[in-house]
Amino acid sequence: MEYIDAANLKSTELNKEIISKLERYGEVTVQNPHSMHNVAAGLPTQGKVVIQGSTGFYTGGFMEGTTLQVEGNAGWYAGDNMMEGELLISKNTGCNAGTYICGGNIVVYGNTGSRVGYGMKGGTIIVCGSAGPWAGQMTMGGKLIILGKAGSKMGESMYKGAIFVRDPEAGEKIGSNVFLDIIKADEEQELKDLFARYDITADPAEFKVVRPMQTGRHTYVLFNPDLKPELSRKMSV
Amino acid sequence: MDNEKKKDFEPKDIQHGIWNKETISEIDYKAQYGQHRIRGCGATRYMPTFNDIMILPSQLSRLSLDTYRESCETKTILGRRTATKPLEIETPIMIAGMSYGALSKEAKIALAKATAVTGIVISNGEGGLLPEERQYSYRQSVQILPSRFGFSKRSLEAADMLEFLVGIGAKPGLSGHLMGSKISEEIAEVRQLPVGIDLHSHPRHGDAFGADDMVVKMDQLRELTHGEVPIFAKIAAGRVRDDVKIAVKVGADGIILDGAQGGTGAAPVMATNHLGIPTMPALVQAVRTLEEMGMKNEVSIIVSGGITDGSDLAKALAIGADAVAIGTGAMVAMGCRVCLRCHSGKCAFGIGTQDPELRQRLDIEEAAERVANYIKAMTAEAVLLAKAAGKTKLKNLEREDLRTLTLEACAMTGIPLVGSNFVFGERFGFEC
Repeated sequence: MEYIDAANLKSTELNKEIISKLERYGEVTVQNPHSMHNVAAGLPTQGKVVIQGSTGFYTGGFMEGTTLQVEGNAGWYAGDNMMEGELLISKNTGCNAGTYICGGNIVVYGNTGSRVGYGMKGGTIIVCGSAGPWAGQMTMGGKLIILGKAGSKMGESMYKGAIFVRDPEAGEKIGSNVFLDIIKADEEQELKDLFARYDITADPAEFKVVRPMQTGRHTYVLFNPDLKPELSRKMSV
Repeated sequence: MDNEKKKDFEPKDIQHGIWNKETISEIDYKAQYGQHRIRGCGATRYMPTFNDIMILPSQLSRLSLDTYRESCETKTILGRRTATKPLEIETPIMIAGMSYGALSKEAKIALAKATAVTGIVISNGEGGLLPEERQYSYRQSVQILPSRFGFSKRSLEAADMLEFLVGIGAKPGLSGHLMGSKISEEIAEVRQLPVGIDLHSHPRHGDAFGADDMVVKMDQLRELTHGEVPIFAKIAAGRVRDDVKIAVKVGADGIILDGAQGGTGAAPVMATNHLGIPTMPALVQAVRTLEEMGMKNEVSIIVSGGITDGSDLAKALAIGADAVAIGTGAMVAMGCRVCLRCHSGKCAFGIGTQDPELRQRLDIEEAAERVANYIKAMTAEAVLLAKAAGKTKLKNLEREDLRTLTLEACAMTGIPLVGSNFVFGERFGFEC
């Protein structure tokens, strides 16, 4: 196994070093990442990178084909705009994990913050713990799977894609312009395969699916009066 | 005269003040539908413009240049603060970001072809990068928008210039709108959307919440583009002073400043008419801020919003812009008559529509030629004014060559009133 000590490197230097080692050895371990931002930004090659520790913002952003394993936490925007490959995070992430991803798989084995999968266009995001509010907001494709508790406003104004959730209170937590549906047989099989691949213990049959409304029009409420006519003084006389 | 006869003689042309036909029809619309109104194009209300400024000609104090026989350089380099391959264009004009979706494929191709003839840059707009646009454009700017429709790592690779878009002048603080009538199967495919949906796109970047995040994001984008491509921040004019400072801190190579007169394919009327500040004072504030920071020579400014002719270009450059962007003007050159109904998708000229029959009405080659002619003529107009002011380079126009026509423009720009050296309000480099 090849090692890189990131303690005294800038992210650009680290990423160059990662690419060079991946091309030669196909696998590399990074030590002392010290929550560095932009780790593995846009990695264009196949291979496996293990980060021994936590990373900062934009971990594996625009990555294209690499398997990146973070043995710790990842900061905000983990895997943003990812094209292909795998991002496996053993602990928790900050907000907006997997935002705008076009493809690839992101697995967060811990919890994640708000807006996971914001505007995602493809690929799969699995959150083994709980997710914050606005998960899968305005997605345009792909699959978001939440095993733990979901936050409020889940799937707000989704255009395409699906959010798989087994939080029993999911029905009260969905946003507008989406509905809660049952899981289809082929989707169950897809989840089963994904769970087996990433060593996750869960029964796909327990999941429900948040899907975009197919009415052709989103509706928005810009003014929502909370009417309490009985509190008027005239009602007391 | 009896009362009946008197009634016949009552004047009919009484001014109605604020209760004019427009106000009444706006209220009728809201009363009918319970919604705000959406329409195409930009602000229709009065706003101060570059027309309130005059250019001082050279006479005994300066030598003029021969309009027809001596040269005046127009070549412009943008975004050289950090980019190793700054953008070089032949005249300081950019085709503003108008999406494939808001515009037809034919209109986008015509605009791209016009840039190839005139040596300028075109911005792709919100709807992804149309392959034909990329094929025909001279230089390609790619917008990074909060929605990221059709955007991927491939888009970054195709760009000669990147725009990190924060807002547009027509509707700053709002997201993009594209009405269902324009989301045809083709557009839906590029944008990865359901066909026919009324689109209210993403309002904020999901991968950069604020200035501190943008610093890191900028590092990421530079790494992905090998530091070659200039990265601009596109901002709508509002708190220009603060926003410019932040854009500089974030590391932008340039700023695209879009004033409140900027147009769009569809926007709430409230936003176009009441959000943001006009282009001219916004530009002054941006230039003033960069000068105070000592960054004027490093950070390029492209200004847009209501740019119509060579005088706007010349005056914008004199105030301190490095280039201008044209949107509605280029559409007019293709045949648009500014009917304000771009949102309906029924553009009779085949420009702002996705209807296959209407699209056929736009002759790509003719439209491309007309836009190219417009850009050439606009450049020639600016050159004419610059030479009359004694400049061998368009960019040598300076604010000392300007005087304001109105008290309002004087106070907004800090440029003295015509026939005086008096400035009302904040100074802008004039000793009085």
